[in-house]
Amino acid sequence: MTYTNSASIAATSCLTADFALQRPDFSLTVRLEVGAEILVLFGPSGSGKTTTLNALAGLVAPDHGQITLDGQILFRRDHEAKLVNVPARRRRVGYVFQNYALFPHLTARENIGFPLRGPDRQSRVDELLERVNLAHLADRYPHELSGGQQQRVAIARTLASDPRMMLLDEPFSALDTAVRQHLQRDLMALQRELRLPVIYVTHRLEDAFAVGQRLAVMHDGQLEQVGPIADVFRYPASPQVAEIMGIPNLFRARVTTAHADGLVLDWDGLELIALPQAIAADSLVTAYIRPEDVKILYPDRPLADAVRDNLVTGRIVTSRPHPGGRVLHLALPNLHEIEVRHAAYTYAPLGLQVGDEVRLSLRRDALVVISR
Amino acid sequence: MNWQPLLLSLQVTAVATVLMVVCGLPLALLLARRRFRGAALVETLVSLPLVLPPTVVGYYLLLVLGRGSPTVEWFGWRILFTWGAAAIASAIMGFPLFVLSARAAIAGVDPALEHAARTLGSSEIEVTSRITLPLARRGILAGLVLGATRALGEFGATLMVAGSIPGRTQTLPLALYDAVQNRQYAQANGMVLLLTVLAFVSLWAVRRFEQPRQTYAVPAVGPRERP
Repeated sequence: MTYTNSASIAATSCLTADFALQRPDFSLTVRLEVGAEILVLFGPSGSGKTTTLNALAGLVAPDHGQITLDGQILFRRDHEAKLVNVPARRRRVGYVFQNYALFPHLTARENIGFPLRGPDRQSRVDELLERVNLAHLADRYPHELSGGQQQRVAIARTLASDPRMMLLDEPFSALDTAVRQHLQRDLMALQRELRLPVIYVTHRLEDAFAVGQRLAVMHDGQLEQVGPIADVFRYPASPQVAEIMGIPNLFRARVTTAHADGLVLDWDGLELIALPQAIAADSLVTAYIRPEDVKILYPDRPLADAVRDNLVTGRIVTSRPHPGGRVLHLALPNLHEIEVRHAAYTYAPLGLQVGDEVRLSLRRDALVVISR
Repeated sequence: MNWQPLLLSLQVTAVATVLMVVCGLPLALLLARRRFRGAALVETLVSLPLVLPPTVVGYYLLLVLGRGSPTVEWFGWRILFTWGAAAIASAIMGFPLFVLSARAAIAGVDPALEHAARTLGSSEIEVTSRITLPLARRGILAGLVLGATRALGEFGATLMVAGSIPGRTQTLPLALYDAVQNRQYAQANGMVLLLTVLAFVSLWAVRRFEQPRQTYAVPAVGPRERP
């Protein structure tokens, strides 16, 4: 496991969790610190993300460990100390469930008012309805609302319970893109305003990039890597993380020579040079190059320094549009395929067609080698 | 027609229904929401009156409520051959119908909704009263009607523990038997018609309860992560 920046985060931390949970077919180990930020908990389904949230909210009890929020021990079970397990209703941990878990027999107004008591209940409900722009739909039942509206009711209801932390489980996964982007912006504004720790569970990388500041990658009940989102994406701590993140152009290669100028890799017969790194010769490594970093070369232009290394010939196998440009798949001489992405205008003069042979540079400074 | 047996039947059924709910609802919640050792045994015991001859249930009740039993010896509670005994017998015969129906309805409430209520600050009693029971209420009402109708028609066990004393313990089904024995067919026809109509109406009501109205449609729940 890798903890990037853990020292600097500890200073402002609001939540610390360090616990383990064992089930007959599943075990979960979580060590996490979350400050007033949006932490994205990312991983494939079944990796233990929801169970982690349930443990933080007090809906399942870990087998041992400790959970502390704002200095208050919410849960503690170890050999010496007395068991502490603050019940879910007293934790003030706001939990927005997958599928929202709105109460179907109550209107939007009644759902939002559910946690509230006392004389100012009505005014508080009205205020929250305003805040999520649902005042005109207050008397509708959940099944009469769209997915995005239901989501806003769920968030308003959670806010009504005056939470000290928010947990969101796949909050926008069932919504279409436009609504999702809108709600993601709202969520970020909300977090900035309330300065709460927010844990946002998703299995979609786009969501992670859209809202997250830090990313925690979970696999098979273990946190594989925690760190700033761009770092985790650029420098996955293990091939597993790279694979979970869905990074294209992953390959296994052997280090043939390692010296101060760089690593020489042998990718099934294709020789590639990467930046120097402390890896012994003859070891097997996982490496990748991001599709944006593969450069197609103009045959009639001189080579810039950056693209001088790792020149290969590739034949275009497929070419299709994607948002913002095109995605090509090219067959390399070593019989592997590589994905290339570029903006629509970049290679327009080349008039690329499926079947064309082109020269590529797998830029040496963009070739990422993961040493495990 | 003599209205005395009908009034007595309604009185017995009302008390039996209250007994069923008071004892049955907590049991249904327990069976639906808690896993405990012996749950299967409890469920089988509760269901037993469905298949036992009512006279067997009546015989057990004689043992429990009769002379020499703790209820009489220790509490001086002489209930045999009163309408109270008829109410207890009726309650026991209707009990499984109520408990099984209520249990199924409660088990059908999405536990995520109860969890949501907990994280929003609700105690277990509030979760039950504000979420679980309101959402399960159609199934609970259906069970209530079924159980009450079964109690209304109770014959065998009632005869064993309360006898058939006109004006005191003779409920409608017992009065019907009496009328046929005495060849009072006009009386019998009236009572048969009345009991048939009541049973029909109650089954009709149960059907209506079990067809969920749109307003209470529970949102579809997607695949969830374990555990």
